[in-house]
Amino acid sequence: MGETRLKRELGLLQTAMMGIGGAICAGVFVTLGYAASLAGTALIIALVLCGIINLFTMLSYAELGAAIPSAGGEYTFAKASFGGLISFATGWFEWISNMFYAAFSSVGFAYLVSYAVQATKLPIPINIPITAVMTVAVFTLINIKGAKETGRAETLLVIVLLAFLGIFTLWGFLASQGTGPVELSAPGGFLGVLRASAFIFVVYLGGEAIAVAQAEIKNPGKTIPRAILLTCLALIFTYTAIAYVVFKTVPPADLADKESPLAYVAEQFMGPLGIGVITVAGSIAALSSVNTSIMAQSRVAYALARDGYFPRIFFSIHKHFSTPHIAVLVGSIFVAATAATGVVNFVTYATDFGFIVGFIFVNLSLIRLRRERPALHRPFQVPLYPLPPILGIVTSVLLILFLEPSTLLIGTELFIFGLIAYYLRMIEHCKICLAVGGMNIGISAFSALLAHILMSSSAATSMPQDITLLFFSVAVFISVAYLVAGLLHITRERR
Amino acid sequence: MAKTRTVVSRIAGGIQYGLGILSLVFAVLVYASPSIRNALAITHGEVYLYIFLFSVFGILSILSGSLLLREEK
Repeated sequence: MGETRLKRELGLLQTAMMGIGGAICAGVFVTLGYAASLAGTALIIALVLCGIINLFTMLSYAELGAAIPSAGGEYTFAKASFGGLISFATGWFEWISNMFYAAFSSVGFAYLVSYAVQATKLPIPINIPITAVMTVAVFTLINIKGAKETGRAETLLVIVLLAFLGIFTLWGFLASQGTGPVELSAPGGFLGVLRASAFIFVVYLGGEAIAVAQAEIKNPGKTIPRAILLTCLALIFTYTAIAYVVFKTVPPADLADKESPLAYVAEQFMGPLGIGVITVAGSIAALSSVNTSIMAQSRVAYALARDGYFPRIFFSIHKHFSTPHIAVLVGSIFVAATAATGVVNFVTYATDFGFIVGFIFVNLSLIRLRRERPALHRPFQVPLYPLPPILGIVTSVLLILFLEPSTLLIGTELFIFGLIAYYLRMIEHCKICLAVGGMNIGISAFSALLAHILMSSSAATSMPQDITLLFFSVAVFISVAYLVAGLLHITRERR
Repeated sequence: MAKTRTVVSRIAGGIQYGLGILSLVFAVLVYASPSIRNALAITHGEVYLYIFLFSVFGILSILSGSLLLREEK
């Protein structure tokens, strides 16, 4: 098996930090305000509810990760239980989601740096796309250097992040002593709490990065379940503590229109220092997410190449560093290109959809493997089976129903691209040539039509004559070149 | 005959490859350069449509060019 070439270098601490760092992204620093306007102080309940929903699926990750500790995470589980298109689709969504997540986090980091520089009135111009691309470049190098280095960087980042969040929580808790306990109220009722849960659930996504890197985890049978459970509990505790301090300090209505609700709350009891603490914490959260996502995307691409779905070159391992350097590099180029556009909304939608689809397939894989391969050695077993995976599937489907329509649209488009990629790899070479030949002839005909319109229509009269002639020449050139290419493809010898 | 086909495939493949890269560069320029958008009279709402069209054309051209060049190896 190819994945034995990856070194098992990550211990329990590094693995757990990878899960926590993958989940605590910059999102938590900005989404609390709107969620509080939906659920009121009952957002605390919504956060615990989300944590429990997340735990259902994470238990499936723990069982499957301990039983099949090969690179690729969800994809590997789906491959072992379903194979074919389902496993490819799972890997595809996982790969795409992690790349978009890395792009989203790097852009988020760039915005936070820009915000901090403006707040401190330093005369340094911050270019968002360049900062985002440079961030991606730095973490690409760390990821190529080695899993141990990636794990160390992640551990350091998450420890500093948790320290900053700890300062915020403790300071807020002490400052709000004497104001009485937080009274739970939900202005939107139970439905409001549910809507807030669907909205805020994204803050728990990303912890499954542990499963993706499982081929590099020491003693996977024990470490993977422990790290996953530790991650889930740490996330529930951290988010609930933050929400408790937030509502001890300000009423939910004050947060609705704030761009950075946590910074606003921190300012109430820490003064301007609070803005600094939260901005630095947000920046570190974004950096740790970039690091984890780049690692995760490369391991999925590596596993997809191992099974022949992706070009073989993605399966290459660096001679000295023992990392899938080509998979890291190619994915990072895509991440950098996406980050350079600075379009945050699109990547957020694509990320959410991909991760939630991954959740559904992991739970389905667990049920299928329990039926098909009951004798498989399972160092960890999901308690109360089959309740947790079924609840995991139901809640994930409900989350998809609560997503924005644009998210569903983008998810469908990504699935179509995945289908094209799948069939390009799976169908015969000569059929691809026929299809490409047909498209070439179509482009040729379209260009010829364009050339004809340019010379005969009144539309061209508004353009200067030399420009019209230039467009006409380009259209004729493209028409001829693509006609020749199309004919060459179609008349290619069948092998 | 086979030799002529090889030469034509290589030329057509090279042209397609070049046009594909140019198209992708153009997609980036349309996104990044307001002066190019003005010159082509591309309105704000149409920017992403043009980027999409140039990207699709570029990717398809590179794919087709690669297939033609690979045939000759």
